[in-house]
Amino acid sequence: MKIIVADDSRVMRQIVIRTLRQAGHGGHEIVEAENGRDCLEKVATEQPDLVLSDWNMPEMNGIDCLGALRASGSQVPFGFVTSEGSEEMRQRAAAAGALFLIAKPFTAETFGDALSEVLG
Amino acid sequence: MTLAPALTDVHAIVDQVWTSFLGEVEPLLPADVAPGGPFPAGQAWSAAVSVSGGWDATVTVELSAALAVSLTTTMLGLEGPEAPDDADLADAVGELVNMVGGNLKSLMPGPSALSLPAVAAGRAAHASGATEIACFDGVWAGEPVRVTVHVVTDAPVDLLPQPIS
Repeated sequence: MKIIVADDSRVMRQIVIRTLRQAGHGGHEIVEAENGRDCLEKVATEQPDLVLSDWNMPEMNGIDCLGALRASGSQVPFGFVTSEGSEEMRQRAAAAGALFLIAKPFTAETFGDALSEVLG
Repeated sequence: MTLAPALTDVHAIVDQVWTSFLGEVEPLLPADVAPGGPFPAGQAWSAAVSVSGGWDATVTVELSAALAVSLTTTMLGLEGPEAPDDADLADAVGELVNMVGGNLKSLMPGPSALSLPAVAAGRAAHASGATEIACFDGVWAGEPVRVTVHVVTDAPVDLLPQPIS
């Protein structure tokens, strides 16, 4: 499977990729995106099986990226990995079509639980 | 009335972030520090995010340069002689305040928006009208870190009544 990891922080992209490995999902192809705009373009060119995206990013944030994807007809499975895990944010994420929201800080177990239905 | 997070909440959030990304081998310990701060001039990194909306505040993380290097090295999983550069340090310190600020925002009344982090090599400066409403001083591997929350208000400050678990 191919996974896009979108976050403006290179440090956080590395942590997400490392945590994917720790959660038993290390065998997937990873494509990194630096913001929502970059993610939107790479979904079109890379045809990923899953997007893991930060919420708060420059250029285009995660929720706008998800909105643009759905508006374009893309139904790519999309989950947030964000420092903002309030109920309000979770509701906004779900209403926009996100499958899950993983709040930072997270553990490999949190990733495993959220990804088990998507990645098997 | 301006609402402030309880110091125990600030400590709990910093501790969660720290443990998740830096491990439990070296604990983050609370520390007693003089009001001026534990950071030598020119040997600190700082980052801030602002929360605006239902709760208006600025959350700041300051840490020694040595600690900034240690946490960046750990967060990036660097090994051997490879050392993080300034861009890596800014990235890691910014992500630290993003997580602390985002979690504090989730605890306080909303809806609010969280800004992108602003990072500097050096101490943080606050506007003259800003009031510090919470401060956590800690030590990790012998190096200092400080998390503060500031608001701009003349109103009395009230502590958030319910600490997180």
